[in-house]
Amino acid sequence: MSADLAIYLQILWTGIAISSYYILFTVAFVLVLKVVHLWNFAQAGIMGTAFYAMYFAANTLQLSPWLVVLFGLFFTVALTVALEYFGLRTLRDRNSPTLTFFIFTLIFSEFISYLLTLIFGTEPLPLYRNILSPVRIVGNVAVSNWDLTAVATTVSLLVALWLFIRYHRLGKYMIAVANNGELAELYGINKKRVYLVSMIIAAIFAVAGMYLYGSHASLLPHTSTGLMVFAVSATLLGGMTSIFGAAAAALLLGLVQAFSVLFIAAQWQSFVVYAFLFGTIILFPTGVKLPRLRSNGLARAR
Amino acid sequence: MEYVYSLLVLVGIYVVLSASFNLIIGYGGLISIAHPVFFAIGAYTAALCGIHLGTPFAVSVVIGALVALAASFAVSLPALRVSGDFLLIASLGFQLGVVQFIRNINFTGGPGGLSNVPETIAGAQRGPLFAALSLVFALLVVLLIRWITTGPYGRAITAMRDDEIAFSTLGRHAMRIKIVIFALGSCLAGLAGGFYAYYYQFLAPDQFDILQSAMLLTMVVVGGMGTTLGPVVGAVLLLALPQAITFIDLPTYLMGPLQGLLFTSLVLIFIFTNPEGLVAAGKERR
Repeated sequence: MSADLAIYLQILWTGIAISSYYILFTVAFVLVLKVVHLWNFAQAGIMGTAFYAMYFAANTLQLSPWLVVLFGLFFTVALTVALEYFGLRTLRDRNSPTLTFFIFTLIFSEFISYLLTLIFGTEPLPLYRNILSPVRIVGNVAVSNWDLTAVATTVSLLVALWLFIRYHRLGKYMIAVANNGELAELYGINKKRVYLVSMIIAAIFAVAGMYLYGSHASLLPHTSTGLMVFAVSATLLGGMTSIFGAAAAALLLGLVQAFSVLFIAAQWQSFVVYAFLFGTIILFPTGVKLPRLRSNGLARAR
Repeated sequence: MEYVYSLLVLVGIYVVLSASFNLIIGYGGLISIAHPVFFAIGAYTAALCGIHLGTPFAVSVVIGALVALAASFAVSLPALRVSGDFLLIASLGFQLGVVQFIRNINFTGGPGGLSNVPETIAGAQRGPLFAALSLVFALLVVLLIRWITTGPYGRAITAMRDDEIAFSTLGRHAMRIKIVIFALGSCLAGLAGGFYAYYYQFLAPDQFDILQSAMLLTMVVVGGMGTTLGPVVGAVLLLALPQAITFIDLPTYLMGPLQGLLFTSLVLIFIFTNPEGLVAAGKERR
């Protein structure tokens, strides 16, 4: 194998592994947009809460990784339920304009971010003190345990979501509400319950994504806003209401960002996301359509 | 006394920022969070003109405002072509992207900031003169916005915000109005930026990050969106409150997050208890 090919393969594999948490954040964002019809900027606050709850469980309580995730899940889902019950539902009941939802979700994230800064400080923190992962060489490509965990977690969660949407009653309700909420209510579907379920699933994806991110890199309270912008870009690129289209777009964006190291300095890597964001708005304002996906099962989960 | 002058300068600048942001979000109903970045573009352009070209204060500030105006088209033209929601997304990307751009290049001083902005007024009169200029500038901007929003164009803006479809069926061009409002608001933010650069003589990317959006949003929401005096009341109140915290004598690292918590809590409280803000609520009571 030539040295160049080995480098390309390494970047490809690392790009896929790193894209895993981007995919999870994107699916969380697009799921809420599709079902709840909400640009959920509160997701940045939810992601921050997930990370710092797990950080507390891992470092202060010294819990095992599974308990760390459960602890994070408990806090994040509790926050999400509170957000839906006391915040979003109240605004919906009042028929508040879109602007109010936008201000509320954005400020909610900022509030959480300041609160986390006050509690945990402004130093970047990883989830564990040692974020190095054992590596094995597979055909000249370094594959770490973290890479495998990240890819396996993401694939498992995506398959679980697809099965849930395709076969579970609540999943079908989610699609019905996403397509026509009023009509779904006429058929006896509890729209509020569906909104809550969608928000909770998004929270689960956010926790999984933050666990993967935090066990690989350090985080500041405001980092989650940048991660959310990535999810927004992928959502736009994926066509805004296509869950798996957005996931594919997140993978593509992650790979473009990974391969950009061959052409631009590392500090400009995240700039690629903003370039894509603008490029998408100008060239593909309604997202890139993938006709092939419409004919198979993935499309039915749209 | 210098502290009071500095506070007055800041009040003037933030009245301009919140009033121009209110023009975009309150009157125009356009959802954008990139206002601090137009403030930054104005500030950095004016500072760089002053440092490298030696242009006088007024010329640098005007150039900064014009560059901010031009930059606003880069956001509004592609985004508004699709829908109002896209302006929010584009503004979010623009805000984060431009601040990162400023942080990464040496020409703007990088993360360490840009110093050596030329001194316009020296000596003991600097503080009072800048404070007076700042307050006059703020008054002129508030009057300008009042003049625009109470006239025929203002009625068109309100009609467009309240029912865009009905507005368009009357043959009016909604997108043109949106672009003009966004450009005017951004240009005013750029003017405030130039003024800021020449008074403080130091600029750093962190001064213009997304948290500034939360602060401006707080000023507008708490004061009263879509009102002339609302942003003025919001700006004065929100600049006075943190000063009260400084007297508590807390460690520096706690001050920033505490102020942020105060701002965001106020917005959240007002959204649920008094969504029209202080000024609008006062009108209702009358």
